[in-house]
Amino acid sequence: MAGVFAYAPAIAALPFVSFVVALLAGKYMPKKGALAGIIATAGSLGLSIAVLVTVFLGETYNETLYTFVGGDVPFELTFGLLLDPLSAAMLVIVSLIAFLVHVFSLGYMNDEGETGLPRYYASLGLFTASMLAFVFSDNLLMAFMFFELVGLCSYLLIGFWFRRAGPPSAAKKAFLVTRFGDYFFLVGVVGVLTTFGTAQFAGENGFPALAETVLNPETTADAVNTFGFEPATWFAILGLLVLGGVMGKSAQFPFHTWLPDAMEGPTPVSALIHAATMVAAGVFLVARMYGFYALLPTVLAVIAFVGGFTALFAATMGVVKNEIKQVLAYSTISQYGYIMLALGTGGYVAAFFHLTTHAVFKALLFLGAGSVIIAMHHNENMWDMGGLKDHMRVTYLAFLSGSLALAGIFPFSGFWSKDEVLYEALVHGLGGSPLLLGAYAMGLAAVFLTGFYTIRMVLLTFHGEARSDTAEDPHGVRWNVKFPLAVLGILAAVIGFLNPLPIKKLTGLEVDFLHQFLDSGPEALLTSSHHYSGLTHDYAGYSVGTIGGGEIVTLLAGAGASLGLALLGAGLAFALYRGAEPTRHTEKLGGLQTLLMHNYYQDEYQVWLAEGLTLRLSGAADTFDQGVIDGVVNGVSSVSLFSGDRLRRLQTGIVTNYAALIVLSLLVLLGVFAALGGWF
Amino acid sequence: MEHVSNWLLLAPAGAFVVSAMLLFVIDSFDPESKHDTLLAAVTTAGAAVAMVISAALLLSGTADSGVELFGGQLVVDGMSLVFTFIFGSVTALVGLASADYIEDLPHKAEYYLLILLAATGMSLMASANSLAVVFVALELASLPSYALVAYLKTNRGSVEAALKYFLVGALSSSILAYGISLIYAATGSLLLPDVAAAAGEASELYTGVFGIGILMVLGGFAFKTASVPFHFWAPEAYEGAPAPVSAFLSSASKAAGFVVAFRVFVVAFPIDSVAGSVDWVLAFQVLAVLTMTLGNFAAATQENVKRMLAYSSIGHAGYVLIALAALTGLGDQGLVLGSGMLHLLVYGFMNTGAFLFVALAEYWNVGRTFRDYNGLGKEAPVACVAMTVFMFSLAGLPVGGGFLSKYFLIVGSVGAGVWWLGAVLAVNSALSLFYYSRVVKAMWIDEPDEPREIERYPTALYVAIVAAAVVTVALLPGILVFDSAAFDAAAALL
Repeated sequence: MAGVFAYAPAIAALPFVSFVVALLAGKYMPKKGALAGIIATAGSLGLSIAVLVTVFLGETYNETLYTFVGGDVPFELTFGLLLDPLSAAMLVIVSLIAFLVHVFSLGYMNDEGETGLPRYYASLGLFTASMLAFVFSDNLLMAFMFFELVGLCSYLLIGFWFRRAGPPSAAKKAFLVTRFGDYFFLVGVVGVLTTFGTAQFAGENGFPALAETVLNPETTADAVNTFGFEPATWFAILGLLVLGGVMGKSAQFPFHTWLPDAMEGPTPVSALIHAATMVAAGVFLVARMYGFYALLPTVLAVIAFVGGFTALFAATMGVVKNEIKQVLAYSTISQYGYIMLALGTGGYVAAFFHLTTHAVFKALLFLGAGSVIIAMHHNENMWDMGGLKDHMRVTYLAFLSGSLALAGIFPFSGFWSKDEVLYEALVHGLGGSPLLLGAYAMGLAAVFLTGFYTIRMVLLTFHGEARSDTAEDPHGVRWNVKFPLAVLGILAAVIGFLNPLPIKKLTGLEVDFLHQFLDSGPEALLTSSHHYSGLTHDYAGYSVGTIGGGEIVTLLAGAGASLGLALLGAGLAFALYRGAEPTRHTEKLGGLQTLLMHNYYQDEYQVWLAEGLTLRLSGAADTFDQGVIDGVVNGVSSVSLFSGDRLRRLQTGIVTNYAALIVLSLLVLLGVFAALGGWF
Repeated sequence: MEHVSNWLLLAPAGAFVVSAMLLFVIDSFDPESKHDTLLAAVTTAGAAVAMVISAALLLSGTADSGVELFGGQLVVDGMSLVFTFIFGSVTALVGLASADYIEDLPHKAEYYLLILLAATGMSLMASANSLAVVFVALELASLPSYALVAYLKTNRGSVEAALKYFLVGALSSSILAYGISLIYAATGSLLLPDVAAAAGEASELYTGVFGIGILMVLGGFAFKTASVPFHFWAPEAYEGAPAPVSAFLSSASKAAGFVVAFRVFVVAFPIDSVAGSVDWVLAFQVLAVLTMTLGNFAAATQENVKRMLAYSSIGHAGYVLIALAALTGLGDQGLVLGSGMLHLLVYGFMNTGAFLFVALAEYWNVGRTFRDYNGLGKEAPVACVAMTVFMFSLAGLPVGGGFLSKYFLIVGSVGAGVWWLGAVLAVNSALSLFYYSRVVKAMWIDEPDEPREIERYPTALYVAIVAAAVVTVALLPGILVFDSAAFDAAAALL
């Protein structure tokens, strides 16, 4: 069965082939490249499942396949594959979502008669390929390369409708903001390479393992180059540098501003970006190199607080939005905040669990929104909708399943994962790291808001009376829209049972399948979850604390608090927005509404940073360049042409002159060297 | 008595000689043959065989440690094979292109014969391990070259250029011969290793004699490489000669001068022993800066494309001189010397290609100046794309191998502590971009003064140009095949 690993590179290669095919031959194909993409991603999905099964049976793979800079150099730069439980599971998620998005695109793009489809499917194929390759990267540099490709593809896809005003600008914004974070990431990659001489993720020779031996007082390690810092300080700096890229891609405060604008792209692309590729890449990277972060308590605390704050902050903005995709965009930022919170509080499994469930329900919600948008003839304003549930049953039920999951209502998937995230934050906060309780409190507060905005969105979109003519008579959707929705709708309801921690704790049944899976795999890779919890315990001082009478009470209190708050939020929304003709309540917020609608003026200050500061600096640099540098260059060129002209006259064409010049210069040369060498 | 298989190491030179003999035979049976393709084919095939054998020997590592033949008069090692490969490739391209260029001219067999004999001389220069062989081989390469420049017998420019070339050559040869005699006087030997062994003593006892000898030898090589101040012949000879011959001289003949300079100075005059007498590294530094600057500055003001290429060829000689000028004993010296070899390798293709494009333009009679090239891109897009590649690669843009070889030269000089040489190279390359892009602009952007019609597209010339362009581009990644060979060869020499 291990033979399947030999075919693993094809997981990323297949979508790449579909990219090439769609690019070169897309316009001659019946569905303009869609079929190539669907077949390729189906192949990737099949192979990923085969890999997952193989990994599940206990085989893993960690090999360097190609060395592109090797030999007599301080460190080798390589490509390789790391297939362990984490990457195997992520491969399945990514290829599943990518496959469904390709199918859905048939309905969203082809059936709607869009132009430029070969370009669309080519970008989608490359997007999928680079994300898959990013996931199975075995070292940080390779991960960085594909991370950047993912960023490039998102730029291409967000700006797909480049003839309109909004999309190109949104694409540029996404590109620039994430690029800003990636600068730090790149510096971090170089730092890791120069410090450890390797960027491998896993195994005894991986950089997390090397960092551990350096920090462990009981082992003697080869000295690594820490540029004069204490090792712990320097590693924290490296961790924060890489975190810059993570925060940009995963849209964490203050780099979240690109994501709501990215809604300008086609909706299936939003689904892919939010659920499985671009945004997921950031947090996946933290999980991938968790062995490194687990050693650094300061960085963990930063991650936890950034996550908790982002979760709350984005949720407040989601409350007042009027467009369905905007609400979803802010919910994405908020949910990735939870994942970061989990990673920062030592909940490695919880983080990946929430990543999984979120991938499913957020892809579902976006595709559902896409279906609604098709029906509404591309009007996205929720105040123009209403009453759609009677016209589109499948969409409504699937969307409802996804919404309940997002809101964290028992027993939908989001409940289980969000509960586990908060539980990890709570117990570690209680167990000697009281700082984490602050992050926990923010996460808990966001639960209430999540419940509120999710139910508000459902009510405004599907319930009540139709508030516009298009909502009276929506456009129908076909199987290619309904099929992905149905698959994801069912998954969103049940996928939480992958890891129902409360059931395990209450009944003692071994039902925490995801936890067991992430804990499996050979010890030598050093990527199992118990290895990580050992590290957080030893180096970051995380231990488990409880309230009252022990674990069960803590668990029930935590779950009760989060479910109660979610229900409270949902109930409030239901009370405010039910009925045939819901009224706008956001005006009642007064000045707060203005602040929220303007996203806390985040865009404004970033625009000021770009225009007020950077542009002026660039202007000054430009003046310097035009005046001083160009002046020098122009001067040099006039001088060269003038002296060139003189030199040309040296070439008289008379051979006796040449002979004389040769002999004279030889004599000068001899004279100078005679003087220098002291021949006389 | 050497082992028989060692004789096989001379097979590249043998291939040149055998094909030259074959041309003799053909010419004696069938004088003024009408089968011009046969003559070109023999030349090209012989050169290609030499090229393939030397590449095979080089990559197989047979001669990595250097094999001496004829009692040490000749040596075959990595460096000699790298250069024989260059000579083989340039001769093959020139032979192929000449088929069309001299189609209507008499004495074809002699023309090809002279090219092959010159190539033989060059491949002996690459292997010469004694000053006597150096001199004889250099003359074997030079004498056919004079005749080749004068090949267009009825063209006054051609004949005049050849005469000037010959006169300057005679002067330079006499300087070289005199220098050799002084070195023999000071050291008592002509074999390079023996000269090296005696160099320390000689520079103490006969400081002046030995020093003058070394500088005069340097002057002789400066002639062959067209370095300042022995460059005067070059613009005239390259301009007057048939364009394929200019390609041959500026690429292969220059490389031959460099291989001899590399070997003689590195092997026979170890800088540690002779520094007391003459610091030839310093001399090469002066020559490198002068040659780079003069070549590029003069090229910038030319109106005639062929003459611009001639001056640019002088500039490139200056770049390669860095390989000797940066032998300061610091840093990675193998990288320094090897980067010079790599630049000559790449230059062999891109410069030959550029001159062959000029040959094509002469074939079409479009004229000689930049203006005359206006609008050629519309009529001959393939050749103009190739020419664009040559120009940008010569300037050092990353479209061809010229980028990497210049990069290695800069890295080497920085590593050797003479970063200013690298800086001069960079400034000169920037200047060279100006005049190289004038050609590109003329071909693609400017409109022709009067409409012209190109009637014939000569196949062999096209094949040669396209092949040179493909190799130039392929060398950008492909230089990695050669760089370790060149660096190893250089390190073995040091």
